[in-house]
Amino acid sequence: MRKSVNRPPTPDVMENQGKEPTFQELINIELIESGEKERLMELLRERLIECGWKDEMKALCRAFIKKKGRNNVTVDDLVHVITPKGRASIPDSIKAELLQRIRTFLVSAAL
Amino acid sequence: MSTRKPSYTNPKPCKHLSAYKLKHGLSGYKSLQKCLKTTPNGRTSVQNPGTEIPRCSSCNGYQGRLYICLICSSISCSSHALLHTQSEIGHYLAVDIERAELYCCACSDQVYDPDFDKTVMSKHMVDLPYSTNSADSIGERLCERKRLGSGVELVDLKKAEKSALTRDQRAKSCYPLGLRGLTNLGNTCFMNSVLQALLHAPPLRNYFLSDRHNPKTCRKRTANRLCLPCELHGIFSAVYLGDRTPYSPAQFLYSWWQHSENLASYEQQDAHEFFISVLDGIHEKESKARNQTRDTGDCQCIAHRVFSGLLRSDVTCMTCGFTSTTYDPCLDISLNLDTSHCSWSDASNKPVKPNDNSSSSTLLGCLDLFTKPEKLGSDQKLYCQNCEELRDSSKQMSIRKLPLVLCLHIKRFEHSLVRKMMRKIDSYLHFPFSLDMTPYLSSSIVRNRFGNRIFAFEGDESDISTEFEIFAVVTHSGTLESGHYVTYLRIKNQWYKCDNAWINEVDEGIVRASQCYMMFYVHKMLYYKSHEDLSRLPISTRIEAFHRVAGCC
Repeated sequence: MRKSVNRPPTPDVMENQGKEPTFQELINIELIESGEKERLMELLRERLIECGWKDEMKALCRAFIKKKGRNNVTVDDLVHVITPKGRASIPDSIKAELLQRIRTFLVSAAL
Repeated sequence: MSTRKPSYTNPKPCKHLSAYKLKHGLSGYKSLQKCLKTTPNGRTSVQNPGTEIPRCSSCNGYQGRLYICLICSSISCSSHALLHTQSEIGHYLAVDIERAELYCCACSDQVYDPDFDKTVMSKHMVDLPYSTNSADSIGERLCERKRLGSGVELVDLKKAEKSALTRDQRAKSCYPLGLRGLTNLGNTCFMNSVLQALLHAPPLRNYFLSDRHNPKTCRKRTANRLCLPCELHGIFSAVYLGDRTPYSPAQFLYSWWQHSENLASYEQQDAHEFFISVLDGIHEKESKARNQTRDTGDCQCIAHRVFSGLLRSDVTCMTCGFTSTTYDPCLDISLNLDTSHCSWSDASNKPVKPNDNSSSSTLLGCLDLFTKPEKLGSDQKLYCQNCEELRDSSKQMSIRKLPLVLCLHIKRFEHSLVRKMMRKIDSYLHFPFSLDMTPYLSSSIVRNRFGNRIFAFEGDESDISTEFEIFAVVTHSGTLESGHYVTYLRIKNQWYKCDNAWINEVDEGIVRASQCYMMFYVHKMLYYKSHEDLSRLPISTRIEAFHRVAGCC
């Protein structure tokens, strides 16, 4: 006989329905459903590679791993150490470009 | 493909992963497979079975990294993943939703499992109707060819080694044997510069010096018609004779004129054009002599065996992700200089200062540019077989098979359609003496497209060496209309400048500062092998080196 897998209780339907999605969540849903989020992410990826941000992060990660020893580093450690530096070093021009894209999207979606 | 040793290492699984696989086998992966979604550019993510946006079951957040548990498919964010393993004993393994990568919550680290990656990739292969059948057959043919080629090369090398020993005494001057000036026959520096490079290409040299093309038998067969390989044979023997007085390749020039009549004049020509036309001439003769009617991809003539590589070009539909792959044989790789930073106006009226934009261009940068996916403009939509419509597409080049001698040609002559004029790009290009081509191979390019997967991609061949050493640089100075070609040769790590009839020892700094136009790289092992300094190596490495070369030919 197959042992049944241990599943969490089915979430209560009532509990979720009670909450209205916030405005931010609405935008997020719209972005995902229209496929715009994927396009934005692709654009961002491209820009970050172009401006050398990705290589910079790679170098930071390498330096960190070298410092700690390659067997004592987990992905989580890396994420925690590098994320603040990464966020801080994104060029303003890229931020502005993405913001502009999101703005035009919101206008066209007429939310 | 599975029997070959892969080029990646397989990390040891953590104890949680082993325990999970022991208990649940692959059933978790299989059920997850249905939820996988692949984007046109090869990224894979997990899509919630419902249309809802995935949220963390503990904090209801939807931002940051989310993990779906492999046992109970509940979703947690990175800060609550550990909590989930604590509340549910044994639920250690989860899959990153965004990236479809395995994660162990207990170790809080990424883990790797070939079976998981196989699941993801097989889903991908099904999703995207990949045209792999043609690739397989080409791969097989290449393997076949390699097997055939290796034996031949082996004999070549042995012979060359033997003959090198006997010839050493004749090298009387301090310069190594084979350095002999070629006289200028009237604006023929384009020819001399390329000839110097060809004369010192180790596989080509071995071929001609071991009498593989015999002019006597050739003459009988072709009834006294002019033959480029015969002329080359003549130059090879004259140059490696040990005589130091400049040699006049007049007979060769005449033969070449016969071969390509449109270039027959005393005017200045393009060295690259000459290079292609000479290889073409050799191929024509040699393949006829061997009675081969097959197309160039499989040609066994010396020109193609030495210089021919295979380029892979992937055209991907931006809408459905369908990729069509084609393979083209190539004799050299023409690279675009990154010219975004020097505009037309400043180049046309005054010469660009050499240190103007020197820091930006490197050969590796040009190769990166060459293998970068390029979005085709909206005016050149391509027909997608899958959508059966004209679609926006992107194109990516990569190198499927490296030649024995890699010739890189820098497009310094630029033609502008808008201005209806030509110009020469004088900017400096930095090039390395040792070049590793791994990042530009099809296997690496395709691997990068799919993210970190432990999966054998087509052409994953670790036994083929990808390290190259430079042995010749053809440089151009002057303008588009008139200029001068000079070749720098690298023999036993010493550089020599071959300027028509004159040969000098030069510093490597001068070579680095030169304006390179064509660069000739050869497999590292062949480079060091050809310089007869094997005696300095211990016996064991010598044997190993020999096998390596046999494998890469």
